[in-house]
Amino acid sequence: MRPMRKILLVVERDLRRFIQYKFLVILRTIWFGAQVAFFGLIASRMVVPELADIYFEFYIAGVVIMMLYSSSVFIGYDIFEEAEHGVFEYLLSLPVSRRELVLGRSIGGGIRSFILVGPIIAITLAIIGWANLPNLLLAFTALFLFAFGVSGMSITIAVTLKSGDHFDIFMGVLSAFIVRLSTTMYPQAFVQDASQAYAILSQFNPVTYASDLFRWGTGIERYLTMSPMPLAALIGIVIFFFLFTLVGVTFYEKRLEGGGWQ
Amino acid sequence: MPIIHTIGLTKRFEDVVAVDKLNLSIDEGEIFGLLGPNGAGKTTTVLMLSTVIKPTQGTAKVGNHDVRTNPDAVRKLIGICFQEPKLMWVSTPWDVLNWHAKVCGLSTSERKHRVKSMLTEVNMWEHRRKRIHGLSGGMKKRVEVAKILIQRPKIAFIDEPTSQIDVVGKHKIWDMIRELRDDGSTIILATNELYEADVLSNRVGIMHKGRMLVCDTPKKLKDSILGGDIVEVQLEKAADNHVLDELKGLEEVVEIVKIRPDDLRVHLNKVEKVVPKIVNLFLNAKLSISSIRMSEPSLDDVFVHYTGLTIEEAEKKSKTK
Repeated sequence: MRPMRKILLVVERDLRRFIQYKFLVILRTIWFGAQVAFFGLIASRMVVPELADIYFEFYIAGVVIMMLYSSSVFIGYDIFEEAEHGVFEYLLSLPVSRRELVLGRSIGGGIRSFILVGPIIAITLAIIGWANLPNLLLAFTALFLFAFGVSGMSITIAVTLKSGDHFDIFMGVLSAFIVRLSTTMYPQAFVQDASQAYAILSQFNPVTYASDLFRWGTGIERYLTMSPMPLAALIGIVIFFFLFTLVGVTFYEKRLEGGGWQ
Repeated sequence: MPIIHTIGLTKRFEDVVAVDKLNLSIDEGEIFGLLGPNGAGKTTTVLMLSTVIKPTQGTAKVGNHDVRTNPDAVRKLIGICFQEPKLMWVSTPWDVLNWHAKVCGLSTSERKHRVKSMLTEVNMWEHRRKRIHGLSGGMKKRVEVAKILIQRPKIAFIDEPTSQIDVVGKHKIWDMIRELRDDGSTIILATNELYEADVLSNRVGIMHKGRMLVCDTPKKLKDSILGGDIVEVQLEKAADNHVLDELKGLEEVVEIVKIRPDDLRVHLNKVEKVVPKIVNLFLNAKLSISSIRMSEPSLDDVFVHYTGLTIEEAEKKSKTK
């Protein structure tokens, strides 16, 4: 069997499993609804009245990226659930190389994030619109790479920490840093105002790149202090993707091969 | 040339030596029984040979591929039926087997045919769309066994295939394992059920505390026990010490186990020669014999012979450690 076919089978398995988690999909959608209907609407009232609608749009776009990030991270939790049920050992015994297995899972994790966030992206676009189709498609491509990269990162951390509890805590802390120190919730100018150090960190953050690119694709880049074509963000996303989906694969292939997992 | 060959294969988990310098040679086409109590190191051996975990020391070649340096090639040859079914609770038996067949490279028509026929064979066809979490332990085990029967790998590791399975189901699975062997698979059967190892295996290796104590055909193992024949004598009343001493004095008698004062188990050699002597001895002592039965030693006796423990005692000891 060709390697690509094996990777696709691993992707298929993750997608099938995800579809079986209907409850999770429903809860995530409710979470998005609550974020927009409560936090978004109320927080928009905290800014000057003439900017309330603008912040609301900015915020919704940010929530989409937060959801995409947290959904892509979910694959790491799957690994621990599988380890608990012994399924991980089963996967490691299959005629699939570690590289194919991990690459397939990264891609599967990324695609299923899009399945989950897809309807929410559609709602968001209906609310805030988009600039033009090429921009939007480029933004989507970048978001795909972002989702694959986050899934790869999640798997890398999961196989490195080897403990579900440690992973849970670590991802909580990482999320606090990576999401809060980004432009997901607030424009770069305000981050800069708060602290120069924060501003530097937020500029080297994949969540910032994804948020900026999505807003650029939707045509609300006028609220950002960035160039019209967010090339830096695009390069940042591509580097992030390669780092965790390709370089990361080699790293955890070494860890997994022959039972490094245990 | 053996299809599996290990030299000094060792696995340590911190201070615990799970498998200790295992030397093993398994020929193509045989059913090799890896026998021992829980905690003997059988599953760890299977996991090392299937590249799931890495040996701490030693070498292992599976199908002439080294498990450390060429694990991908090893995985193309093997399949595992795990001791504990490895199934996600949200999946269904159909999903599990269908995906397994796909990833093992079966063509669409062959896959559909094998999945359906195997689900039917293991009496799971009706339950094929039920979630795993709604299935009983025995049903899950049958799905796990079906995976390897669908895959038909060149080398099949089968870990306690009939635990949690009823008696009728056991015989069916044993027949399927024999069919798998007849179709060309080499089978490594890890089990703590002595009878299962006896009836299925061409050769048996007995493991205890991570070490391989002995390895041969079941018949040769049984014959290797001094006093390998057994005569069980049930008397109308208890035999006194004088009679027992006289019995012990027979040159063929190796050991007398008093199950009850009137129920004796005599381990001896040359059973056909000594039985008339035993009968005469009891008749002369005015002890009526209710029943007398000759039997071969079982692998149970072999295990006791080599470890000094029954398999149940060995399991208890390993649990209390």
